[in-house]
Amino acid sequence: MSDTKKKILELLAQSKITADEAYRMMSALDGDSVAHDNAGHDNTGHENTGNKGPEMKTKAKYLRVTITPYEGESGEGHHEHAEKVNVRVPMSLIRAGIKMKSLIPPEALDKANAALKDKGINFDVRSIKPEDLEELIEALGDMQVDVEGRHGEKVKVYVE
Amino acid sequence: MNRPPLLMHVKIQNKDANFGLWLPLFLLIPLALVILIILSPLILIALLVLWPSGWGRWAWESFKAAIGSFWAMRGLDVDIQGRYGLVRVSVI
Repeated sequence: MSDTKKKILELLAQSKITADEAYRMMSALDGDSVAHDNAGHDNTGHENTGNKGPEMKTKAKYLRVTITPYEGESGEGHHEHAEKVNVRVPMSLIRAGIKMKSLIPPEALDKANAALKDKGINFDVRSIKPEDLEELIEALGDMQVDVEGRHGEKVKVYVE
Repeated sequence: MNRPPLLMHVKIQNKDANFGLWLPLFLLIPLALVILIILSPLILIALLVLWPSGWGRWAWESFKAAIGSFWAMRGLDVDIQGRYGLVRVSVI
């Protein structure tokens, strides 16, 4: 364990920093060490996404959605009935899809706004600007969704 | 800038059918270009006529979005294996 990490833990023990701050500091340190370890290597894995420091953040290229069926303790599961899904969507395609917003007729946008209002969401769809969406897509790089279904199937949504 | 997709591979596998299809998308680009050049006077007239009503702009935006979506398809990969068989679509 490095001296810096020890110092962070000491500060946490002395209640000078909160657990959240300590976690963020440790993550930043881990990000740095990963950056040094992987210098010159292509890092496309999604496992380290959460540990990446700001300088480590690479531009997200694909949105991945995977659904893997439950395989049981010894590998036997509901194979005959289970569906396995593996989808990879390029980010550029998502951007192109978002640009299609301009094709939606204003009446349809009014209807969408009304439907959102009915559901208790007071939001104007027209207020979404391309620059906001670009920011949103960039923020997707930090996202990872892991859901375990009722039948044991695993749904993963992440960016790589 | 993205490179356009060159090939599309479609694979369908089930009890009744088992086939794979390679679609040469790169052949579509010159073909589409030729059609566009031939039809360009008509497209221009249609745009000019429809522009005041607002539909011209909509048509132009649709055209741009369609081209953009096609261009951005490289790397798309859909792989579904279920009880009915396997469907795989990948754009290379």
